Amino acid sequence: MTAADASEAVLAAIRSRRVVRAMTSEPVERGALEAVLDAGRWAPTAGNRHLQRFVATDHRGLLRVLRMVSPGMIQRPTAAITICTDRAAAEDYGFPPEAPGLFVDVGTAAATLMLAAHAIGLGAGPVTSFSRAAVSTVLRLPDGWHPELIVCLGHPESTQPRPLAPRRAFTWRDLTMWAPSA
Amino acid sequence: MPEMRQHGRMTSAWVLDEDDAMELLAYLITAARTQLDEAADGPMRLLTAAHRLAGMIDARASAETRALLEGAVARLPLLAVPRDDRDGYTAQVDGACRAVADHLAARYGAEPTPA
Repeated sequence: MTAADASEAVLAAIRSRRVVRAMTSEPVERGALEAVLDAGRWAPTAGNRHLQRFVATDHRGLLRVLRMVSPGMIQRPTAAITICTDRAAAEDYGFPPEAPGLFVDVGTAAATLMLAAHAIGLGAGPVTSFSRAAVSTVLRLPDGWHPELIVCLGHPESTQPRPLAPRRAFTWRDLTMWAPSA
Repeated sequence: MPEMRQHGRMTSAWVLDEDDAMELLAYLITAARTQLDEAADGPMRLLTAAHRLAGMIDARASAETRALLEGAVARLPLLAVPRDDRDGYTAQVDGACRAVADHLAARYGAEPTPA
């Protein structure tokens, strides 16, 4: 593969990835889950600090309970990765608990995990609407780990739920302002 | 044949088991907490709960109730929020409310008013 081919493959993956909200009951293979987790460690973090932690599960019962306490989890995933912030480690770095940089790093981790899942043929969807207290309890998180975002993983259904309003097709120009402006 | 229970002159099918009820209870309580942070999503979360309840009871419901669940309730938007097309969203939810009211009136409207 040439460098140009590799570039095009990466861009094609970025353009074709979608949030998957309907998944089949087919399990995610453990090797595939580990491949996604391995990609996660390459996500950029501020200062290369790596204050995010990943909690992975493909346990059917645990996933069911996770969904019960996550109102935003429309899909029924067969695996999930919960991205947590290690608030104790963050405090050691001098971050206040709500420092924006910590959440930016959650976002880059989520984007990387979802793109990796897409690259190996899995569907992925992020969920932020869940009870932090309940998810901490369900996953038995260590003290100081704060759950921020759940990446649901599974094999995509052929049809996905559609929102009432049609999607707006943005171009990069719609989303961009040049500085200095013309 | 679903198990039935008697309500006055009406018979009604048992449509939820404890697992289903607990799932819905957990959803409602955790959604109440998340709405402190994301109130704009409130109607969507309630409709998600309605979809989940419909999915739980569909198999054991009466034919008339199943028709409602698989019709007006199934058509309720699963993901939309009343932001881009608030009038359309409102009209669709109003339509579902009317369908539920029609169903309830047909099912219970003939019962005598309790003293």
